[in-house]
Amino acid sequence: MPQTGLHIHDLHVSVEGIEILKGIDLSVEAGRVHALMGPNGSGKSTLANALAGHPHYTVTSGTATLDGEDILTMPPDKRAKAGLFLSFQYPAAIPGVKVANFLHAARQAVRPGDLSPSKFRAMLFEKMDTLDMDAAFLGRYLNDGFSGGEKKRLEMLQMAVLAPRYAILDETDSGLDVDALRSVGQAVHALRATEEGKNCGFLIITHYPRILAHITPDVVHVLIDGRIVMTGGADLAHRIEREGYDTIRDEVASRA
Amino acid sequence: MHNETERRAALDAFVATPSGRGRPNRYWKLDLDALDVSAFTPNAASTTVTISAPNGVTACSLEEALDSFADIVARAQEHRGNGKFAHLTRAFAQTGAFVHVPAGRIIDEPIHIHTRANDADGAFALTIIVIEAGASATVIEEFEAVPGATLVYDSHAEVGESARLTASAIAHVPADARVYVTRSARPQRDAHVAFSHADLGAALAVAEIDITLDGPGANGELDALFFPSAKQHVDLLTRVDHRVGHTTSRTAIKSAANGSGQGRYLGIIRIIADAQGSDASLRDDALLLSRGAHIDSVPALEIAANDVKAFHGATIGAIDEEQLFYMASRGVPRDQAEKMIALGFFEPVIEKFPTDSLRKQLREALEAKLA
Repeated sequence: MPQTGLHIHDLHVSVEGIEILKGIDLSVEAGRVHALMGPNGSGKSTLANALAGHPHYTVTSGTATLDGEDILTMPPDKRAKAGLFLSFQYPAAIPGVKVANFLHAARQAVRPGDLSPSKFRAMLFEKMDTLDMDAAFLGRYLNDGFSGGEKKRLEMLQMAVLAPRYAILDETDSGLDVDALRSVGQAVHALRATEEGKNCGFLIITHYPRILAHITPDVVHVLIDGRIVMTGGADLAHRIEREGYDTIRDEVASRA
Repeated sequence: MHNETERRAALDAFVATPSGRGRPNRYWKLDLDALDVSAFTPNAASTTVTISAPNGVTACSLEEALDSFADIVARAQEHRGNGKFAHLTRAFAQTGAFVHVPAGRIIDEPIHIHTRANDADGAFALTIIVIEAGASATVIEEFEAVPGATLVYDSHAEVGESARLTASAIAHVPADARVYVTRSARPQRDAHVAFSHADLGAALAVAEIDITLDGPGANGELDALFFPSAKQHVDLLTRVDHRVGHTTSRTAIKSAANGSGQGRYLGIIRIIADAQGSDASLRDDALLLSRGAHIDSVPALEIAANDVKAFHGATIGAIDEEQLFYMASRGVPRDQAEKMIALGFFEPVIEKFPTDSLRKQLREALEAKLA
């Protein structure tokens, strides 16, 4: 009986021979919102990249399953096809590849043949409307010359178009950009309001708690030095907002 | 056409003129200087030139033009290209095309010059294009060759004051054919020339493209792409010559190679001492899609004036892993992502080609090479 949820168990990840994640246990259930918070260098983006299959990140031990499927043995495109989505902090620019063509290729790859070209277009315009995006976006080259805010919006549009089962949003550095926070919040709510997206599980990775004013998490995890040291409810995020990470670090040290 | 004495002199000049591509030659298997022309037995049946033009343009064979437009042809001939392969064309060509757009005439519909190599004996054609002052036209130079053919082609455009010429050529011939193409243009005061060019393989495709900016305010734009695959060789030379001050130019080259494809690009910008206030840019990007592929790229900026702007930028390498990962993270498999990125890489040059059908033809040909 396959187990639903994105389950990460005792995950160890190295970059260039240096261990960054030292045994992560984390489960995101369908339809729930988890926040992963932590100071700079704690390994938040490493977790996101390792789950998505970035070749520079080496999983040395542990497991990760998505609705019962082992994703760690899959190449990155198969992970996307299995229903995983990663929104990047700094998405790559690909000159010459138009946004519309890319979105169509991605949708076709993830959900082959489920929409005719005209239905795809209609769906695309509807999603863009929801995200307050101008149709001119579609004719531009992927992330090429995009501002930070435009890149973020395009990431969110891709999430809307692909309607993943689990979305990891790497918002590590976007804590200070109010427009970016708003567009991410808007996109998450919009996806959850759709039939395809209502059961999507989210893992929102952030340094600053401010994004959580736009999306209320069900569960908050604190990552320090490659380990999850504390897990709680939305109130844990408020505590971090008030006290920062130092008191949590001290508390964990005194427990040890 | 040329008389016997002129042909002899042209052949001698062909033999005596170095190809100008002596370097880099580390990986290059062909010696263009040593090209043996004794195999050519040119005859009139080897080459067919077809011209189609909208109303308002004089378009005829070069043979006819030598009778009716002798002066105009003679004046244009003075300025035509004098590279190695231009000499070769002159030595053997018995046919060609002539296009004349009268002063002030604006022609929107493209003029087509189609040159076909009918057999393996060697096909040779000369084209003369004259755009008079204030006129504007688009010329599409098309090539066709039977398998095993050799096509040698030379065209020259005189572009009068404030005139505009957009000229485009795609060399897309059978994989065992050889093409040697020379294209040149001389825009005068405030004239504008936009050249686009594509070499999509042939056993050997050699192209030499020259723009000579010969009046203040003259502007030249040169966009080219090439893509040798399998065992194909492409050799491209571009030269923009700023002969007078306050002239501007932009050159952009995109190349890729896969299989054991070999490419060589030599890009020359020349600004003579008197050409103060000129502005030139040269950008070339090369994408290597297999281990056996090789592209040599050599920029040569010969700048004798001190009050000018000259930019040069170049990149060479494989497809960026971050781009591939990004596309994969959205479900696009690696081979499809590579294809999309490579096609996208060429897109800025493809967009410079003047008609939808040319752009479509290019995208399809490139896609086939990436399959």
